Amino acid sequence: MEEYRHYGADRMAEDLFGNAAADMAIFQPTYLTDFYDEGFNTTEQNAELAEKYPERFVLNGTFDPRDGEEGLRYLEHLKEEYDIPGVKLYTAEWRDDSKGWRLGSDDAFEFLEKCSELGIENINAHKGPTIRPLNRDAFDVKDIDDAASSFPELNFIVNHVGLPRLDDFCWIAAQEPNVYGGIAVASALSTHRDRKFGEIMGELLFWLGEDRVMFGSDYALCNPDWLVDQVMNAELTDEQRDEYGVELDVDTMKKVMGENAAELYDIDIEAKKRQFRDDSVTERFGLADHYGGDAGSAAD
Amino acid sequence: MSGSRTGTSGDPTGVPAIRSRLDRVEDPELARSIVELDYVETIDVDGGHVFVRFTLPTAWCSPAFAWMMAVDARDEVERLDWVREAQIELDDHMHDEEITTGVNARDTFGETFPDADGGVSEVRAALADKARVSRQREAVEALLSTGVDPEQVVVLERSDVTVSGETAHVSLDGLSVVVDADPIKDYLRRATNSGHVTEPDDTLFLTPEGRPITADRLDVVQKRSRLASVNMGGQGAVCDALHRARHGPDGPEA
Repeated sequence: MEEYRHYGADRMAEDLFGNAAADMAIFQPTYLTDFYDEGFNTTEQNAELAEKYPERFVLNGTFDPRDGEEGLRYLEHLKEEYDIPGVKLYTAEWRDDSKGWRLGSDDAFEFLEKCSELGIENINAHKGPTIRPLNRDAFDVKDIDDAASSFPELNFIVNHVGLPRLDDFCWIAAQEPNVYGGIAVASALSTHRDRKFGEIMGELLFWLGEDRVMFGSDYALCNPDWLVDQVMNAELTDEQRDEYGVELDVDTMKKVMGENAAELYDIDIEAKKRQFRDDSVTERFGLADHYGGDAGSAAD
Repeated sequence: MSGSRTGTSGDPTGVPAIRSRLDRVEDPELARSIVELDYVETIDVDGGHVFVRFTLPTAWCSPAFAWMMAVDARDEVERLDWVREAQIELDDHMHDEEITTGVNARDTFGETFPDADGGVSEVRAALADKARVSRQREAVEALLSTGVDPEQVVVLERSDVTVSGETAHVSLDGLSVVVDADPIKDYLRRATNSGHVTEPDDTLFLTPEGRPITADRLDVVQKRSRLASVNMGGQGAVCDALHRARHGPDGPEA
């Protein structure tokens, strides 16, 4: 359990890059300051690791509209200090008497306005399974609809594809071209429920298309060294192929596993591969061969 | 359905009778019977006292859903006229004690979980609606596969359908089509339960938003219905996957 409770920076670098399962990572903070005194993992804490391997990490920030003016200043600070390209939002986070907030609210719009102004384009919203004490309705995905249609210049990445509201999520995403699906949690189904995973991927690819579905690992609940392989090797049944008219072929999976995220975060995959041939991670874990040829794809 | 009568004297007795009452209790998120899902661990009958113990696939299932199943189990069992009192016990759940105590003390969900926001009834209504949407596809498919046109399907009303035994008769402008009763019956039960199809002149098939369907949109509505079933089925799988992620494939004892 000690391991379950605390994953340090060193352990994380090894898990992510040690066997080259991943080449880059997009680091999402989870503040949860009402539950954890110093935050669960804040942008500042994440930055310590990211600064050690700057070429390997994309560092996202966060905001909470309940912070008002002070929150807007903090967002400006995060942009200035870390040049964050995106934010990770927990709409169900408790704060004093509040049991959460909605992305479609006037207060949230003020922050989205600020993101737009600062060029923070990628809005990651955690909308997924929850358990007490985080109340479930605060993870309802319908507020994404308002926000996405009001801010067409921003990208809205819904993590955990809104499960258990996949149906609402897909329907909204089918109509809003700037809504993306992150498959963290769902990806874990590839392990023991490959049929279910196939169904969910089938639905996502049917409603969103192959350019708007992205891998997520749920690190450290699941570990990328086996998860990436599992997801890469997932297949649809013949029946599912006929039903959805889509394929989990190599081209589709390359997009899901990295190219779509690279596009959102302006990452040049080929340039990165050249850079990774001799960076400090490659030296530490002896990965030079991995980056020697054309093999290897970016994953987050 | 189960053949047992309610509220009249002479209800069937014993463990099988209790089991068939419990068969009507559903996991609200999956819209499947808790008996079929194998949640029921123990049934003890002692005169007019009945004891039921059940467990859920993971200790972290939503307390609201666990609560609904516990209350429904209690109420279904107590509908048998010879049952004086049903005691329900939920095991191996993060809130098993609160739920067991609350249900048997006849407290409300709000009394048991004072810091939860939103009541159980809204959640029930939302899930009943999802069950309606998810069951529509097979009923519509049954009609389409006999050659009925989308134009004819979308204008059907409740009174156009009669279920008798194994078959359902659907009348279309004087003609009658006969289809397998199961998907129709299942859909009608869900659509009645959600309050969408209750009157003879109610439109039979609807969009997820509850509006009439236009013939050219029937295909999209069918795909949304498929999506609703995938969502429902996916939930059970997610709970299970989270459970395995924490405990490994062999469960907490491994």
